[in-house]
Amino acid sequence: MKAAAQSISSQGFPSSWGSFRVGGAVIAGQSPDRSDSAVLGAWLDQKVPQTVKQHWRTLYSISHSRRRGQPVERDWRQHHNQGVWREVQEERRQESIPRGVCLSMCPIRELQDREAQNLLHRFEVLSGTERERWPRADPSGVVKEYARPAAGKDSTRPSDLRPPAVLLKTVFYLVDNIAASPTLRPWTEVYDFVFDRLRSVRQDMIIQRVSGADCVAVLERTVRFLIYASYRLCGEPLRLYDPRINDTHLQESLSWLLECYTSGKHPNQEEFQALGLLYNLGSSRATQHTMELPERIRSSPVMHLALSVSRAFMERNPVRLLRLAHSLDFLQSCALHRHLETCRRDLLLIYSHGHSSKNCRFPLHKLAHILALDVPLTNQLCQAHGVEVHGNSVVFSKTSFTEPEAGKLQCAHFHDLVDRKQRDLTVGSIIHGCT
Amino acid sequence: MAHITINQYLQQVYEAIDNHEGSFCAELLSFKHPHVANPRLQLASPEEKCQQVLEVPYDEMVAAHLRCTYAVSNHDFVEAYKCQTLVVQYPFGISGDYFGYIFSSLPIPQPYPLAHYVLTVIVYSRAGIDDSKKWGMLFLINQLFKIYFKINKLHLCKPLIRAIDSSNLKDDYSMAQRVTYKYYVGRKAMFDSDYKPAEEYLSFSFQHCHRSSQRNKRMILIYLLPVKMLLGHMPNHQLLRKYDLMQFADVTKAVSEGNLLLLNEALAKHETFFIRCGIFLILEKLKIITYRNLFKKVYQLLKTHQLPLDAFLVALKMMQVEEVDIDEVQCILANLICEGHIKGYISHQHQKLVVSKANPFPLLSSSS
Repeated sequence: MKAAAQSISSQGFPSSWGSFRVGGAVIAGQSPDRSDSAVLGAWLDQKVPQTVKQHWRTLYSISHSRRRGQPVERDWRQHHNQGVWREVQEERRQESIPRGVCLSMCPIRELQDREAQNLLHRFEVLSGTERERWPRADPSGVVKEYARPAAGKDSTRPSDLRPPAVLLKTVFYLVDNIAASPTLRPWTEVYDFVFDRLRSVRQDMIIQRVSGADCVAVLERTVRFLIYASYRLCGEPLRLYDPRINDTHLQESLSWLLECYTSGKHPNQEEFQALGLLYNLGSSRATQHTMELPERIRSSPVMHLALSVSRAFMERNPVRLLRLAHSLDFLQSCALHRHLETCRRDLLLIYSHGHSSKNCRFPLHKLAHILALDVPLTNQLCQAHGVEVHGNSVVFSKTSFTEPEAGKLQCAHFHDLVDRKQRDLTVGSIIHGCT
Repeated sequence: MAHITINQYLQQVYEAIDNHEGSFCAELLSFKHPHVANPRLQLASPEEKCQQVLEVPYDEMVAAHLRCTYAVSNHDFVEAYKCQTLVVQYPFGISGDYFGYIFSSLPIPQPYPLAHYVLTVIVYSRAGIDDSKKWGMLFLINQLFKIYFKINKLHLCKPLIRAIDSSNLKDDYSMAQRVTYKYYVGRKAMFDSDYKPAEEYLSFSFQHCHRSSQRNKRMILIYLLPVKMLLGHMPNHQLLRKYDLMQFADVTKAVSEGNLLLLNEALAKHETFFIRCGIFLILEKLKIITYRNLFKKVYQLLKTHQLPLDAFLVALKMMQVEEVDIDEVQCILANLICEGHIKGYISHQHQKLVVSKANPFPLLSSSS
């Protein structure tokens, strides 16, 4: 039972269930009534998860307790079952989706609460009052923070929710004034702040069931920010940046975004399908998803390149992959960069087997060129993998190849391939996508 | 059956129980039986009537079933599934096949997560209670597999596979169930790139599938063929024609000849079909086998053990492979050596591939 409940809750947002239609089967000679199915389908789309789950739990716990025989209890149970079902029908009729009315980036109530309890973030404090005992809030800088939904806490109060236009404005503020700011340091703190506030924006969107162009605009910037961060903060100590948490949120936002793309026209779709494919290189789920996209998207140049990279990875052709990687733009390289370690390791492994001979020599500079690294780094990489280097030649041997010790190789040292592409791109232009 | 009154129906149920007629009783509670079309039995609150005629716990079982017929007549499949599940949660001494029978006619509604949730509740509540219910488990698990494959959440299959593997009844289920089960498990193994177990499961399914179910055999074959091809066994034309799978004909020809150009063309031509079946990515893996066959031809033509790398580059260029240079040729060859498809080594200084004098291109089935 627990496993079942867990597997349902891990399916995430109701919006990711898409739209379902109730199947109309020909049962007992009756043909399905289309309008009923449509209404039921729409209702199911929004209401089924919570109410049915709750109902199931009640029912299951009752029937399993086997308190039978007592007429009073049995009656009660039957009434309860029917009563709960009537409740469900009632809810169905009410159809209440919360609509926010808060026009500032942070609801007044929260601003006042946090100011009074000295819980403002460093970036939200009115300049000049930072050192005071009770720093004052800067109304143009306070942003609603993420708060876990909890029992007894009503997260659907309209005065606490921001409508989609305000959410988009908030995202712009976070990107332009915080993430892209040349003065705010250290960037790990900038990341923490923006990450949390973006999460709150997404939460508001979920509660209000926002969809369409506004939702897409917010999610696109979120995904770009998280991909950029995964590269920029790579190598930071765990207490300052956790790549796994970043990855979880990035995957969630990405799959929500790809879900939004299934309806309507979106100009940036190819860019993000490609980013998704590159970030999830090697994942059969992601590749299968891409294969099922319409032909016109798959044949766009950006998708074509991403697919070639993916194919090279699947065929285990790291030479081709690294060569193609040179053609990727900065953000795509950021998305790809965490796979480069595997890619280079594969190349050394394949070459260790393919060139395994005591008498043969492979030029070091050639290997460096293929690996897209400079000579000293290539040397370091070879040593970590047990590949022998004598002077400026490499001696490959299938027996001497070893997996590097965990944590010995730092991905951040090998970022040159990506670094080169940043050139004079600003953080703002990277996240807004104006490259 | 379609005209009896509620009292007559209840009387029949009572007699069936009294006379220990398990199969008839199951029919009266199932959806395949015509009684479900009887509007007189479609009641929203039949509890009192049931209590009057039947004993505990049968009164509640039957009441739940009647509520289910009422729900279905209102197209409320959510309630229907719920009620029918209530029916099966009571202990009863009916043989296992009829357990599945009770559900078999109820359509799986489109909200797959809902059906999945409902069926999972049943399956997990089955674990370790009593044997009579375990018989229905494989049927339900097959239904769940169907759903998971449709919604593309294959990782959810794992706990179910584990449950069946640990059950001591797994070889005693009916052949039909086992064939279906192995078909899905084989497909899952294929997806996880475990080709040897996938071949075992799918071969079992194919061999034991009933001769008359052509459609099922074809479905199994669609997945069995790529797996066999990856292990080096090419299907013959007769087989492909018999099951109407000529899409594989060009692919087979291309792979066995080492003809990359034809392979790419064949994959592009039937792309939609392969993608829809979910085997496009696996067929792309055949490229490695095709490279191997192509390079074997080069070896056979040059009749020497020290093959210049240029020869392979020429072969690839002939196959119109775009943008390939000598470095990539080395990489492809090195990959083939690493996978065990070629025995030898590359000498970068001499720009040659030196192959072993004995059996440099071992059989595919031995090296995968």
